[in-house]
Amino acid sequence: MSTRQMKLGLFLWATGHHIAAWRHADAHVRAGIDIGHYIELARTAEVAKFDMVFCEDAAGLREADVQIASQTSRSIGFEPISLLSALAAQTERIGLVSTASTSYNEPYGLARAFASLDNLSGGRAGWNLVTSASPIEAANFGSTGLRPHADRYERAREFATVITGLWHRKASGHDGRSFSLRDPLDIPPSPQGAPVMVQAGASDDGKDLAARTADVVFSAAQAFEEAKAFYDDLKGRLEAYGRQPDDVKIMPGVSPIVAATKAEAQAKYEALQELIPDDVGVALLSSYLSISDLRRYPIDGPLPELPESEGMKSRQALVVEQARRDGLSIRELARYFAGARGHWRVVGTAKQIADELQARFEGGAADGFNVMPSWFPGELVAFATLVIPELQRRGLFRKDYEGRTLRDHLGLKRPF
Amino acid sequence: MDSSVMHRAVSLNIASATGQAGLTFVEIAGFVRKAEEAGIDMVVISDATDERSSSPFEATTLLAALATVTESIGLVASASTLAHQPYNLARRFASLDIISRGRIGWNATMRQNPRDAVNFSRPGGIAEDDFRRRAEEFIGIVQSLWRGWDADALLFDKDGGRYHDPEKMHLLDHKGEFFSVRGPLNVARSRQDTPVLVLSGLAEADLDFAARVADAILLDEQSPEVANVACDDLRRRARAAGRRPNAVKVLAAIPAGPELTFERLDDWLAPQGCDGLTFALPADLSAIDDFADRVLPELRRSGLARSAYGGATLRDHLGLGAGGAK
Repeated sequence: MSTRQMKLGLFLWATGHHIAAWRHADAHVRAGIDIGHYIELARTAEVAKFDMVFCEDAAGLREADVQIASQTSRSIGFEPISLLSALAAQTERIGLVSTASTSYNEPYGLARAFASLDNLSGGRAGWNLVTSASPIEAANFGSTGLRPHADRYERAREFATVITGLWHRKASGHDGRSFSLRDPLDIPPSPQGAPVMVQAGASDDGKDLAARTADVVFSAAQAFEEAKAFYDDLKGRLEAYGRQPDDVKIMPGVSPIVAATKAEAQAKYEALQELIPDDVGVALLSSYLSISDLRRYPIDGPLPELPESEGMKSRQALVVEQARRDGLSIRELARYFAGARGHWRVVGTAKQIADELQARFEGGAADGFNVMPSWFPGELVAFATLVIPELQRRGLFRKDYEGRTLRDHLGLKRPF
Repeated sequence: MDSSVMHRAVSLNIASATGQAGLTFVEIAGFVRKAEEAGIDMVVISDATDERSSSPFEATTLLAALATVTESIGLVASASTLAHQPYNLARRFASLDIISRGRIGWNATMRQNPRDAVNFSRPGGIAEDDFRRRAEEFIGIVQSLWRGWDADALLFDKDGGRYHDPEKMHLLDHKGEFFSVRGPLNVARSRQDTPVLVLSGLAEADLDFAARVADAILLDEQSPEVANVACDDLRRRARAAGRRPNAVKVLAAIPAGPELTFERLDDWLAPQGCDGLTFALPADLSAIDDFADRVLPELRRSGLARSAYGGATLRDHLGLGAGGAK
């Protein structure tokens, strides 16, 4: 097909992306301990012809305050590499992408695990590189504190060089600042050659690393202009690394809430918002801002001045800009962000949501989208049965898979 | 010991077919399902040799896929303490245990694979004594992390807004010679309590440790007489460590290639001091077919493997108590 079509990922997250998703009457509350739930979600996504399912990851609790943590469903779940390996045996075509940290793994071990997932799935694996910004994770790996942003990225760059060398059968042996290894990879390549490389960091270091090594970039952008600026910035960095604009697919997150009418969709959204306890919303916002104590400020007052943190620099800037622009109180901002975890939210009919996606896709702000249903399975089913057929009618999304590997779906070249 | 309660395991080293194409998933899954039909307690998958492997799979990821195409059989993967961080390894296996609904074990080998240090950023290697102390600390952390969430910690109380009871989630706060790990794990307790800890590759210096902490011990391949002495010795050490006689299962190993005749099998199946047998297979299609077609039916015919699983979990199959039970 010569017409450009959008890529769609399904971002899996236990009970759903809304912080209070698990409290929804029809949400599958045991999602974090029921593999059958994930198999069903992956198969639903495969029937809908999604390019991939995607899992994020953290090697530790999400929230330091145990009282806050106990009001969310995010403290327990599956480890994603084992989860996706199980899904590999229960699906046929859909891509399987997992996050793993360059800070708390060794390249030889991670290369083996993903190469194995790639073989188990017949060439459908991808790795989302993250550097891990959470001090909770650091405490599980003997670190006295979080490493500075620049150090984490230096390690990540070396990690990416080593792991692609192993997967692309180029390098043999490496002796660097963070890692050393002697042997080539002892697992043969899959039908797609090597796992797809994904990244999500939106800092300057993150964008450079993505421009150098990523096949897919997940991003977070609320407004069209933000999405467009990120898209142009990242694509503009590719030439310096000898790459073409089409070599990297940029897929911003979107959290859609769809219903037969706009009013019905809005009512669904508001019902979910009502389920967020204030202390949970504020704690979540604090965590995105990488500060621990937003709760000592008046909840109906404005966001205070914040120092730049060593955590998620790009995410912090996004949140602060949003609050200032809309003049939001801490409570309002907390609820707003809890709903889609800082990503773009669209509430409306299938046609309205398709319009919004089409505008960003055709306006040069996205190559596709990472879809983040508010709660599972309901909002996934709604998107798959209402929005995807509308996208297909407009010729914006595939009606069937044309290939078998994730690289086939994404239109990516084999790496060797 | 009554042979009717003897345990039967199969160990399959998917890495050992040097120079050949490795077994495919369909071949491995077909074999494991035959072992399941024959009532084998567990299959132990290893993916490493001193040589480079030719297998397309790594053991823990393979185990996840196998868990979805089997119902009852125990699934154990070998994973190296040098190739992983304790938090990551504990998490991978705890997750596998939820995926399989309580049928998982970790085979921790106390024997150092020379390929690990050189490929995992220890170009100078690691001294045997350091490796041993580090492995013991590592294994202790993993077992403790597996117990971080009480079995009744999850409340799922939508109306009250309480997903779990914070009192039933426990920090580890381990600070040791090689590791410091705060915990807790972010995976729930499994149906079988914790994954089964299997220890193998034991040297003399490892025996007391193994007798104290293991749920199951796999002996190296040796004669029935030598294996019996080793089993008795480990049981004595377990008693000395204050454990009940049944708290640790010791399995002797027997090579299960085409040279395994029924006469040789009889030598092993006679009542003896061990809790069971591990049939060791290479990653060779004719060898696993031969075992499945020739040996498994014989085990069933002679009543030496169960015809049905009595319980649902690997701990049930092995007659073990909860993780860490004395």
